[in-house]
Amino acid sequence: MATLQQQIASKFLERLAESKQVDAGKVEQLRKLLTDSKRPKADDFVKIFSLPAGGDVK
Amino acid sequence: MIKLESAHIEEVRGIRKLDIDFQKGTFAISGPNGSGKSGVIDAIEFGLTGQIGRLAGRGTKGLSVAEHGPHVDKTKFPDAAFVELRVFLPALGKSATITRKVSAPTKPTIVPASDDVKAALAEIADHPEITLSRREILRFILVEPAKRSDDIQTILKLDEIGQTRAVLNTAQNTLQRQQRTAAAQIESSRSTLLLHLQIATLRSEDLLNAVNQRRKLLGLPQIAELTADTKLDAGLSAAVIRPDFNKQSALRDLNALAEAVKRFPDLAKAEVDAILADLARLESDPALLAALQRRALIEKGLELVDGPACPLCDTPWEDEQHLRDHLKAKLAKSAEAQEIQEALLEKGTAVAQAAIRIASLLGQAQKIAEGQGQGVVAQMLTDWKADLEGLKASLTTVDGLTGLKERLTAGWLATPKAFPKGLPDLIEKVMEKPDQTTAVDAQTFLTTAQLRLGDYREALRKNEAAEIAYATAKEAYETYCAVLEEELNALYDEVEKDFSAFYRAINADDESTFTAKLTPSEGKLDLQVNFYERGLFPPAAFHSEGHQDGMGVCLYLALMKRLFGERFTFALLDDVVMSVDADHRYQFCRLLKTQFPDTQFIITTHDRLWAEQMKSAGLVTGKSSLAFHSWTIDTGPLVESNQEIWAEIAASLAKGKVETAAAALRHHLEYVSRLLADQLGAAIPFRADANYELGELLPNVLGRMKDLYGKAANAAQSWGNTAAKEAATNRKAALSNSNGAANVELWAVNKAVHYNEWANFGKKDFEPVAAAFKDLLGCFRCEACDSWLYVTPRVNSESLRCACSAITLNLKPKPK
Repeated sequence: MATLQQQIASKFLERLAESKQVDAGKVEQLRKLLTDSKRPKADDFVKIFSLPAGGDVK
Repeated sequence: MIKLESAHIEEVRGIRKLDIDFQKGTFAISGPNGSGKSGVIDAIEFGLTGQIGRLAGRGTKGLSVAEHGPHVDKTKFPDAAFVELRVFLPALGKSATITRKVSAPTKPTIVPASDDVKAALAEIADHPEITLSRREILRFILVEPAKRSDDIQTILKLDEIGQTRAVLNTAQNTLQRQQRTAAAQIESSRSTLLLHLQIATLRSEDLLNAVNQRRKLLGLPQIAELTADTKLDAGLSAAVIRPDFNKQSALRDLNALAEAVKRFPDLAKAEVDAILADLARLESDPALLAALQRRALIEKGLELVDGPACPLCDTPWEDEQHLRDHLKAKLAKSAEAQEIQEALLEKGTAVAQAAIRIASLLGQAQKIAEGQGQGVVAQMLTDWKADLEGLKASLTTVDGLTGLKERLTAGWLATPKAFPKGLPDLIEKVMEKPDQTTAVDAQTFLTTAQLRLGDYREALRKNEAAEIAYATAKEAYETYCAVLEEELNALYDEVEKDFSAFYRAINADDESTFTAKLTPSEGKLDLQVNFYERGLFPPAAFHSEGHQDGMGVCLYLALMKRLFGERFTFALLDDVVMSVDADHRYQFCRLLKTQFPDTQFIITTHDRLWAEQMKSAGLVTGKSSLAFHSWTIDTGPLVESNQEIWAEIAASLAKGKVETAAAALRHHLEYVSRLLADQLGAAIPFRADANYELGELLPNVLGRMKDLYGKAANAAQSWGNTAAKEAATNRKAALSNSNGAANVELWAVNKAVHYNEWANFGKKDFEPVAAAFKDLLGCFRCEACDSWLYVTPRVNSESLRCACSAITLNLKPKPK
């Protein structure tokens, strides 16, 4: 059974993946960050949110 | 999680040397107060987590594992104090050994030292809440809502979740500031473009109109539509394209800068004044300033608190709670500081935006100066522009703003001394330039327009990226908050339901409709419970102490179930249900057996009756129980019902220690007599103080057992069950023989009552006494499972049996 933290992270990412505002590449990066780091820092998130859109070619 | 197979404890707390075989099952340890039970809990907790909860928290000032973990005679030799636990790791399907010394509590030796085993043991080391003591129960039930919220959030590790939310919020704020800076850059480049084109708006038709006028002069084709790829100077041959100096445009740029200079005294003045006021407020309140500077440090420190010593400076505190309260008070102070921080950053960002606009004007002037060979002025403008751009970073952090105080007071623009003369001189130089021909003017107009349009488009692109980044961060933060709230509400709902169901299971007879309500709100967690359907009240309002004890355990179990789910395989319950009455204890045993069949509970109690009830209820057996009869500083806990009692007596006699052997036998007889009086339903004259003497117990137990064996033989006779009759008759005969051979009824018991007389015996005198009692007591237990016999049901008994059912003697004769 997943821990509460894991459950929240999982649902958070699932919800973001459905959002048009956040592209799949960023969601994947967030998933990696939340999995690898127990206490992610604000700068880690800033880097991910500032990445160029990694979705489909337009 | 784990299951405990065995423990070897040496020189820890009150224990000298003790081995316990837990066999991965629920285990009961009983004994009077001060007999060393909790020392076992301390040792197991230490072995698993490196901590001893009893040495932390309220009322434990000056206590520490390092100084008070070892046995009192070994405090100077902490290396001698250690715990070796053999554990089974269900998730990995294998066993491991963890050995932890008091001298190195954070560096256990783990065998095998594979990564998976180390990770599994590290997980449990991170969960000191596996231990529940009576003191801990009060944390859940009787505390004020804010404290309950803190404690429960700590258990559920919600602080980590809160930390993630906080950093997401910080990221969002950072990106918002970056986006505002990018927007200011757009505004700046837009202004310079408009200034050059001499138009009021950047509508496509206005821009094209200005451009096409020059293109017409140069005989270039008109641009019909402005697209992303449109080149305003398209058609100009490379040879024709001149350096981007356009006299009129240059004069407009320089004049724009000159106009801006006139507004310098008021530029961002309100924001700068507000910043200076906030900085002054911080300076006048050193605690506020310190709180602001240390906020991050304190937040980190709070996370790391795991005892009464401050994790930041090692300062010892009265207890962990005082330390936590102190740090929280500091954080509360810094909450006020945080408001100032946000205001400072808001104002700082506004000043930074003004700086960007000025830097942009300086950039244009610097290019003109360079083009006109005004090297000194160009360098001055370059340096100033770089200075203002560098200022942007300092204006968007609190430390930066604090460091800028002097500059903000003296004039944040820090206009170079040479500038007031340099700018008019430069304007004059440009004015002195001969007027450009119409063609050259048009050409440079187009090249400059193209450059500035490019800058504007680049600013737009950067701003768009910044807007996307900020919108993404905002979406992420808001999503996280929404998910967090949903999950926490669901969590509290589940905990509330489980808690109510567990409590109803224990109190089915009188509170079968019990409900509870957990209400989270702004850092508080209210708990209200139904009192006989008269409404919801705080737990301590009407419920008895025993009921509150039950609530505490039930809430703990509900939380652990929610925290670990199927991985909840181990818990240490240290004297936690002592106030629960007998009937409800049976229900409690049933709750543990039915709701937590895969969880190993190590349960201590000072209540002998409760220890026996756990056996009667089938929660534990004789083999999974341990009773201490007393404790001495030299020996540690003295086990009273262990299988080795006779070996211990023999060992004492071998050393000539008749007094020690006599004391052990005396304690063992006391224990067994009480237990058998209870289990066999012996008729003991009632005593209100329950302080029964051995002399009151043992003869009646002997008589009762003879009577039971007789009844069993008669019942078997009535049913024609020859084998059962023979078994009962043989056991009765064996009992009589043992009793008679030792003549215990006649003198040994009397001696036992006044056991000090044994101390005067010699070894040869005492050996037959011990042997006689050993034979005698053997008649009361099953040879197969070693359990003591008992009758069932307890009133109007129908059978005499043992735990493994190898002995099952019917007591009810065939009706006539």
